[in-house]
Amino acid sequence: MKRFPLAALIAAFFIFLLWGVSIRQALLFAVGIGLGATLAGARFGFTTGWRQLIESRDPKGVTGQVLLLGLAALFAMPLLASYPELTAALGPPSISLLLGAFVFGLTMQIADGCGSGTLYKAGLGIPLNMGILPLFALGSFMGSVHLGDWLSLGQIEPVGLVDLWGAEKALAATMLGLLAALIAIRLWVGPGKTWLDKKWLWGAVILALLATLNLLIAGQPWGVVYGFGLWAAKAAHAANAFDPTTNMFWSQDGNAQILTQTVLLDVTSITNIGILAGALWISANAQGNSKPLTKQQWIIGLGTGFLLGYSSRLAFGCNVGAMLSGVSTGSLHGWIWIPLAFAGTLVGVRVRRHFQF
Amino acid sequence: MNTDSHSKKITKVGLKVIFWIVLIGFLSWDWVASPQVDLRNEPPVIAAGSGQAPSGGHCSMAK
Repeated sequence: MKRFPLAALIAAFFIFLLWGVSIRQALLFAVGIGLGATLAGARFGFTTGWRQLIESRDPKGVTGQVLLLGLAALFAMPLLASYPELTAALGPPSISLLLGAFVFGLTMQIADGCGSGTLYKAGLGIPLNMGILPLFALGSFMGSVHLGDWLSLGQIEPVGLVDLWGAEKALAATMLGLLAALIAIRLWVGPGKTWLDKKWLWGAVILALLATLNLLIAGQPWGVVYGFGLWAAKAAHAANAFDPTTNMFWSQDGNAQILTQTVLLDVTSITNIGILAGALWISANAQGNSKPLTKQQWIIGLGTGFLLGYSSRLAFGCNVGAMLSGVSTGSLHGWIWIPLAFAGTLVGVRVRRHFQF
Repeated sequence: MNTDSHSKKITKVGLKVIFWIVLIGFLSWDWVASPQVDLRNEPPVIAAGSGQAPSGGHCSMAK
């Protein structure tokens, strides 16, 4: 489909949200479109950036991600300190987080997409990612169903650096952490490398601005995985396949209420839909060049999609919810997530190579 | 364009169409099956400065 009719359809959905749901949801849909168009337009792939660092000692992708985290923290932390209504992405440090982040980092390399990556690539029309999306949702839902059992293995209360130290010290600690990451990257890649290109630079700046808008409008940081789990939970509930009242996660007041209302009222779902729409709009002028997969690659890829969803729920987010939103809003769980997911990725790139993805 | 690449392109377009039909079908079913939105109880347009706690779920939430 050409860009103009697509833009008309997207505008019609925006007006429907504005008229029939709420102004907030319409604005968040617009933010989602921006996120999707930026992710797809800049090909801002968290997964690819990590893989390029490991396999080619190319630091451009991860430098772009460090820049994104730094800018998002620079905007988010003072806002969190100034507006008590805004919440940080606080996940509990736990056994669940350690295991989930490792498995997520591993599987995202096989599937060639994290949470946001799966969304924008599905929007671009890449066959494996379109196939993965429903399984990602199912995995995320199953992870939420089992979350109580995983948390019983051991957890501590979430730690928020802004609450603990105030915005200035939390921001200084975050910047020091990101500087340490850049030094580690420099030691790995060696001298004479190009650190950043235009694509990663403008991608990081726009994503940081849109993530901040999401925080201001929704009152909570950008997330992806919750929306997926909610979609599958709604379908399972409608099919009488699951009773939310007996489940630790879905019987909580907030989740139980969200489950009874349309997903168009859920902030994460609406930005997810926007990301798909934004990427679809970009795809109208893009050349699809994904290579055809073998039957074995399809089976492995789809199985991986389920694990992506399950592990991201256990890890309290993906590269967006845990890494970007966690670190930029001062959550300790974001800082635990990164090394564990990176360790998983070190294995994942080998598995990916083995199956010739 | 040879027959093989032509059929691959058609399959890819077909997958894309199926994907969007399933997604729009799910959203339409959800809209019809869910209680009507209470427009009188709309959430604040901008959460910051509204004095209201956010009502959404997030992936970082354990509960």
